Amino acid sequence: MLDFLPQWMKDGIGDDLLFWLGYFTNGKHLSWYASVQYTLAAALFGALVALLLGLGGAAARNSRFLPLRALGALYINIVRGVPDVLFFLFFPLAFEQLVEWIRAQSVCTPETLAANVGRWPPCDAANWFLGTPEYLALACVSLGIVYGAFAANVIHGAMNAVPRGQLEAARAYGFSATQVLWRFHIRQMWVYALPGLSNVWLLLVKATSLLSLLQIADIVLWADRLGSPNFTRSAGLVHPDWRWGYYLVLLVFYILITFISEKVFAAITRWASRGMATAGGAAA
Amino acid sequence: MNEFLAPILHDIGLMARPALFNLYFAVASIPLGFLFAIFFALGKASPNRLISGFCRGYIYAFRGSPFFIQLFMFYSLALAFNLSLWKPWGIDWFVLNPLVLGPVILTLNTTAYTAEIFYGALMTVPKGEIEAARAYGMSGAQQFRSVIWPHLIRLAWPAYTNEVVFLFHATALIYFTLPVIGDQKDLMNIAGELFERDYNAVLHFSVAALYFLAISLAIFLVFGIVYRRLTRHMPGASRVRWSFSRL
Repeated sequence: MLDFLPQWMKDGIGDDLLFWLGYFTNGKHLSWYASVQYTLAAALFGALVALLLGLGGAAARNSRFLPLRALGALYINIVRGVPDVLFFLFFPLAFEQLVEWIRAQSVCTPETLAANVGRWPPCDAANWFLGTPEYLALACVSLGIVYGAFAANVIHGAMNAVPRGQLEAARAYGFSATQVLWRFHIRQMWVYALPGLSNVWLLLVKATSLLSLLQIADIVLWADRLGSPNFTRSAGLVHPDWRWGYYLVLLVFYILITFISEKVFAAITRWASRGMATAGGAAA
Repeated sequence: MNEFLAPILHDIGLMARPALFNLYFAVASIPLGFLFAIFFALGKASPNRLISGFCRGYIYAFRGSPFFIQLFMFYSLALAFNLSLWKPWGIDWFVLNPLVLGPVILTLNTTAYTAEIFYGALMTVPKGEIEAARAYGMSGAQQFRSVIWPHLIRLAWPAYTNEVVFLFHATALIYFTLPVIGDQKDLMNIAGELFERDYNAVLHFSVAALYFLAISLAIFLVFGIVYRRLTRHMPGASRVRWSFSRL
């Protein structure tokens, strides 16, 4: 891996360090570093879905139409009352089965159905093979559904926290209901929602560590592979169980993400509260 | 018995024993986590830079990283010392037992979350009351026992209730990491096992979810009763708001 380095540089670095540099840049380690993309993609797209579902859920929760309001309340409370890992495993499974069942209606013959009784998929032709991209997409959606419920709860609370007087003033100035909603209610809601949304984002980021449960070769799976005791017939025991070291790296990785997220959210909060009649915005 | 209810009731029966494992993990780690959290919260507020730095770092690290990774790390750490320590001492069956290691790692995790809640409450204890206690000549321990603690626990209780529910939810992750020995199974194990038998994901996962939901509500109920007791001298009816969010 490091053969491209000139000789004088290799001499300067020294054999020991050179060995470790080579070890940590071997193919498997590079795959490990590259697998961060799955974690980050799941976090970002999961957060996007969660935000959309959060807005939708909060809108349903505030709806004047009773069944919609009940649906919003049900979504918010049931999903949050169940461990995220349960829903994270259940949703992709259920979705896969739904697709296979729909497919089975058209591709299965009575003979193939009879041969597969008591098994799944209903017949072999209906089988849907899920690769990493499919699982990643499903993981994003299920993270989005779970944390969308949290986000909906936060946004619902924040919508109610906007001072009534602000909205009344806007109405008194002759703004239409839609204008009041978008330019005043939702515009001011963010300041009250941001601390809660920051919490939801941090929960979501931590939940991305579950990707390996959906057979995605993410950072956790690679850490397990790389750290497991490595024994080859020709070289004997290459290294003993180093897994805890690799997991420690992951722990630090997540702590760093948390740290960066906090800084970013602090900046966003400062930006969103400029000109607001709150303690944070009064100075601006 | 109709066709719709029978399989659900059957699953409820099958999952009663696995639910006890989730309950065991929660019950085994909550009291210890509660106790340690008091010390970590006071430590974080300590004027001693070394103590407060350590507690701050501990709380930040455990709150900033996923419990799933913590489980993996501490389990592999325990495994790494197996040949050199646990085996020769003859305690490997104890240390590596999921029923011991699970609550230990859960306790490490919940201590951090609970300490942060207690620290937040500690910061909002009215200053005047502490000054009054000091003016009456109370010692540090007396101040804590009769002024700071009653305030702290009352302020922290709603958030602590949520933390306990989340801790219970976190028990679902334990057997994804630690070995399943014999017929030790928790709700997630049995749901997966039943799913592999007849591929009915909706039924088995829903019943498992029902158990989690029911126990979560029971926790809210019990903690709500405690909260009413804690605030019985306060004006106005106070209730724990059911909000299911880990702070």
